[in-house]
Amino acid sequence: MEVEVCNRPSFAHILAKLAPGEVIIAESGSMASMTSNTNLRATWNGGFFTAIIRKFFGGESLFVNEVSSTSGTAEVMLTQATPGDMIAIKLNGTEMFLESGSFVACTPGVTMGVGFAGFASIFGGEGFFRLKVGGNGTVWIGGYGSIVERELTSELTIDSGHLIAYETTVSLASGLAGGIVSSVLSKEGIVMRARGPGRIYLQTRSLDGLASWTNRFLF
Amino acid sequence: MQIELLCRTASTVAKVTLGAGESVTCEVGSMVAMTPQVVVETTSKSRGGGMMAGIRRVFSGESFFLNHFTSRVEGGSVYLAPSQLADVYHHALRGGTVVVQGSSWLASSAGIEIDTTFAGLGNALFSGESMFWVKCTGTGDLLFNSFGAIYPIDVDGSYVVDTGHIVAFEETLAFQMTKASSSFIGSFLGGEGLVCRFNGRGRVWVQSHQPDAFGRTIGPLLLPRD
Repeated sequence: MEVEVCNRPSFAHILAKLAPGEVIIAESGSMASMTSNTNLRATWNGGFFTAIIRKFFGGESLFVNEVSSTSGTAEVMLTQATPGDMIAIKLNGTEMFLESGSFVACTPGVTMGVGFAGFASIFGGEGFFRLKVGGNGTVWIGGYGSIVERELTSELTIDSGHLIAYETTVSLASGLAGGIVSSVLSKEGIVMRARGPGRIYLQTRSLDGLASWTNRFLF
Repeated sequence: MQIELLCRTASTVAKVTLGAGESVTCEVGSMVAMTPQVVVETTSKSRGGGMMAGIRRVFSGESFFLNHFTSRVEGGSVYLAPSQLADVYHHALRGGTVVVQGSSWLASSAGIEIDTTFAGLGNALFSGESMFWVKCTGTGDLLFNSFGAIYPIDVDGSYVVDTGHIVAFEETLAFQMTKASSSFIGSFLGGEGLVCRFNGRGRVWVQSHQPDAFGRTIGPLLLPRD
């Protein structure tokens, strides 16, 4: 299988070339175009119960597509809803949490489960459960804006809406950016405090930021 | 006419350099800048089309009016850009017809006749594109824009494009609405639903992102209007 991320970083999308027998798992609705020898098969997103939990508590899609070739090399383009960057992350037994909407595709060796996001996540407005990926293989994630990878050794404060993926070894706590007054005045409000060790991935723009900017012009 | 695409891919602007007396026809509002040798004229007419062509254009998501930029001397230039964050694609049309999705047409040189055609009821309802398509016929330069990056695909046989991703295609291709996977249920469960299948030989230009999908993502975050 040959996978390439094209048109980075502003309009990233994935070109996957699949030989017969090769499979890539793609997020529901992510197919932009494909050769006619491509086969799509809808399957439960990480198993029946996991899919149900993720759908109703994590806001994820119920199904994903298994993309394969019916004969010869199939080529498929996979995309995301927002303009922005995409990156490939290799998992070698490490586990990661993915924020809702950031999953684009993965190889079949990747397990998709569901993990309790922790109370910090609820107060941060990020939902109860989130997609947990593990196993061996590659997962492709996408973000709004560019994606910044960071290896945490100590603590990092992150504005809400910017964290899109993190290793399960990272612990999160929510809190105010400063004191109550300065948190309100600085418009940073509630932030996340991520504590390592582990890797985290941030998107450099947030949809909430775009929405609150746009809202000022709607009347 | 000389066309240069600058600042690709997210915020592309097309620099069109005109010869003496040469003109380019553009979507209204697409001019960013122009040199003083260039004069602009606004009409509802394109070559070969009149009032009715203008009315049909309104249905295709374009403006009733068209702007014609003409250079009085050699070397006058005009900068054209779409309103969204988008890529622009330049296609040198050498005879034949290219069908451009309603809102994607940006500009064409004087040798190209532009006309708006109804996409067909089934296509209009299900393709996720606008009801009308802009047909560009003749010889000259054609510019169209996208939401996201544009990639051309040379089709020989058959190729599938998801609804909302079509920018333009050569008329030699036959167009058909079909289901994304082998079963209807699977197509809808997998979130793809109906797709467009192109059959024959020719080129189709696909946009990497779908404006509606982005709209649906950002829509719930916006304040309701009264």
